Amino acid sequence: MIFASKMPSLRIDQSDLKCKNGCDYFGNPQWQGYCSKCHRELLQRQRRAEKASSATLPKPEQKKPERGIKLASHSSFSKFEEKRLRQSETLKKANLLKFSVFKKSSTDEHDHTPERKPPEFKIPALINEGMKREFRVRFTNLPPQVDRDARVFVHSFIMDVIKCSNVMTVDELSERVQRHYQHFMKYMDTSPHFANAESEIKELLIDFVEKHAMTYLHDLPGVVFSPIGTEDERLDRAMSERIQQLSWVGEKHLECKLDRTDSACSQLLYKAISELLAVDGAAGPGGKLSRVRRACRHVLALCGASASADDLLPALIFTVLKANPPRLVSNINFVTRFCNAQRLMTGEGGYYFTNLCCAVSFIENLTAESLNMDKKEFDCYMAMPASIGGSTWAAALSLCGAAREAAEQRAAARALLADVATLRAEADLLAANADSFEKEIAFKVNDVLANTPLEIKPRREPLRLSSLRNSSIPLIDLETPVDTPAPMKPSEDIPQIKLPEIMPVEEPVTVTFDRTTDEKITQNIIDFQSLEKPSPPKSPQNQPWELKQTGSFELLTPSPLGFTPFDSRSIDELMTPDDFGSDHLAPGLSNINYDIDLSDFSGDNSLAEDTPKEPKDPFSPDGIKKEPVFDPFQPQTSQSSYKNVLEKFDEFSLIDSKSNETSEAFEVVHRTQDSCTPAAAEEPGDPFSPVQKEASILDDSGSPTSACLLPSPLQPQTR
Amino acid sequence: MTSGPYNYSYIFKYIIIGDMGVGKSCLLHQFTEKKFMADCPHTIGVEFGTRIIEVAGQKIKLQIWDTAGQERFRAVTRSYYRGAAGALMVYDITRRSTYNHLSSWLTDTRNLTNPSTVIFLIGNKSDLDGQRDVTYEEAKQFADENGLMFVEASAKTGQNVEEAFLETAKKIYQSIQDGRLDLNAAESGVQHKPASPGRPLAAPPAARDHCAC
Repeated sequence: MIFASKMPSLRIDQSDLKCKNGCDYFGNPQWQGYCSKCHRELLQRQRRAEKASSATLPKPEQKKPERGIKLASHSSFSKFEEKRLRQSETLKKANLLKFSVFKKSSTDEHDHTPERKPPEFKIPALINEGMKREFRVRFTNLPPQVDRDARVFVHSFIMDVIKCSNVMTVDELSERVQRHYQHFMKYMDTSPHFANAESEIKELLIDFVEKHAMTYLHDLPGVVFSPIGTEDERLDRAMSERIQQLSWVGEKHLECKLDRTDSACSQLLYKAISELLAVDGAAGPGGKLSRVRRACRHVLALCGASASADDLLPALIFTVLKANPPRLVSNINFVTRFCNAQRLMTGEGGYYFTNLCCAVSFIENLTAESLNMDKKEFDCYMAMPASIGGSTWAAALSLCGAAREAAEQRAAARALLADVATLRAEADLLAANADSFEKEIAFKVNDVLANTPLEIKPRREPLRLSSLRNSSIPLIDLETPVDTPAPMKPSEDIPQIKLPEIMPVEEPVTVTFDRTTDEKITQNIIDFQSLEKPSPPKSPQNQPWELKQTGSFELLTPSPLGFTPFDSRSIDELMTPDDFGSDHLAPGLSNINYDIDLSDFSGDNSLAEDTPKEPKDPFSPDGIKKEPVFDPFQPQTSQSSYKNVLEKFDEFSLIDSKSNETSEAFEVVHRTQDSCTPAAAEEPGDPFSPVQKEASILDDSGSPTSACLLPSPLQPQTR
Repeated sequence: MTSGPYNYSYIFKYIIIGDMGVGKSCLLHQFTEKKFMADCPHTIGVEFGTRIIEVAGQKIKLQIWDTAGQERFRAVTRSYYRGAAGALMVYDITRRSTYNHLSSWLTDTRNLTNPSTVIFLIGNKSDLDGQRDVTYEEAKQFADENGLMFVEASAKTGQNVEEAFLETAKKIYQSIQDGRLDLNAAESGVQHKPASPGRPLAAPPAARDHCAC
């Protein structure tokens, strides 16, 4: 008893570790706390003592005092039951263990003596107690006779199965068990005790009986669950290994629609797996069936709302592969053999169990073909060591979790990619919009340009020129040979031709009126020239000038600003009369002087102002040079002149575009000129320039010829 | 296991077989819940594919099992057939391939069920007459040659669905009456539930010792 009470406990105390005999070796609970040597000795002693039990006693449990209670006849069953109620659970365990010994010893011995059986074991009271309790709870309306009948049936059933398990094959035993069920059902149909029971109650009763009988038998090793003489255990191991090997099989291979990334889905999968794992823990066939049923319900929910049998089976196969339930084959065989066949063939539990059988059978016979895979690929997968997934179902679960994690991350990556794609699309759209906008703008601009094609110059100039001509024609005759016309021609294409006309007009007239008007016109023209880079194409006479200018530029470049050239020239012009004959010979020196003279600009102006006496001399070069000088001017005054010119242009253009009448254009021109003059007056050089120009023009008549020559500055200087 | 307000005398087990996507689940659903659910046909609901009908005054509970139709599962789905009193063989009139597979389905059914099992051929999706790929006459001829009952039905509209199930039940019941179907055979697919208890046995069956030794 002591051992018996100890045996069931899984806890190991320090005292348990050492051999109970007191030798220094460690004891082992399997050897009842003895070391192996002491245990063997003990065994031998006990064996000698217990000669009654014939077979070898491989386990210590068998030494326990015999609890054998003779099976009572059914008439006295209730009495026995009373007795058994007092028996403790440890007693039951002891009996159970003993029974196992008995069974093993007598396995396959067909000549087994029937006398021995009754004393060998007894049905633990717990079963009867449990049945009683449950019956009271579940079948409150049934008379006590039913309860008793059920218990009697269970008792005789268990006894019969145990007896027959030794002498019958599993299939025979299964058949016999089924016959017992049928008998009981028939009995229920015919017995007056069950007269008032509905068919559903009867079904519940048969379940009740089956449950209690099989729960007890299930725990007896080798009787009904993976019975001795069958290969169930080996098949269990083989199946487990096979499932491990197939751990790579995913939902894709099975073509079942599972969304692993969905957390609800994975929860259902976990639930289904845990239910499948619990199948092994459930004792009776009914319990196992209900586990299977629950598992399959989860699997069905896993498949989604529109699930059918077409979806259930692959998903169930997948779940089984991921769960790798322990002792799968044994459990299935147990249910198949010893569950009430009627129920197995109908009802939800039966249906799902059938599906499970199909799933297991599929896994057993799984080939590359059944996965729609290439044979080589399949073989590669199968060649993978089975230990990759770990040796237990936990590994399969962890694999599942890892896969789910990966799937989640993949989904996240996919979402990111989608975002990127949308961003790119938006960017493209934006670019396209920008393009179209640009084109639109360009088109509009072109359109506007096309609608308002204004060639300003030709229109303007002819107007002016025509006006000029009118005034100048007579003047031209007066002085055709004058220098000025020559430079003008090349500079301006159309106007140039007229300019020469203009210039000569001015020179000969010498009348103030003419001059002023002419000057104004010339100013305008000059401005045009400046805009159009008049210097390069100038007449051969001017070319030397340009050369000189360029020379001076080069020399002057070290000194900054476009100022210098102008100043220098003006200075040259101004100063030439004073000195620097030698300087002129050496242009570099003259340049230097010019630089210095920058400060004297005002003084020059004053000089210029003073010079009205001799407007021709100082200004003449200016006037002459203005044309060429304007190049250097451009940076400074040219800008202002530009502006003026531009303004004028605008005005011109507008007016021109509106009306091509010459009279208006003239008026405008005059206005612009007026406006320009003040603008010019603002600048220091400009105010003088008109004056100078007047003078210069006048001067030109005298000296321009010389000025037009290459060394225009030199000539005045030489003077 | 079976709970419900109805008392019934018999339980008939049916199986529905046929290629994937022919509408087996929809037929079952249409019959058990009398409606077509395109999106959520719970093949096996809480009621689990049962319906009680009445044939010749007898209440009969039909227990219908849907099966997976994929070709790859053909070899392993034999356990479905065990104990089926009726087999509804379904094809899709809009897909000829499902019709062409009927002979193999029929072979399976004949091999895996007992001879008294009633086989009923259903051409499903008769509402899609415009897309018909198998004529009625052709299928009817096939059914006659093989001694099958045949009807074209639509799980969507419910047309002929009830009839198919009821006719099958009638035929099974007739077999029982004729004695062709042995109720005591485990594989008969029929359970008899006498409404009233018969004569009581002299002793509980457990009292008898059947042990061979």
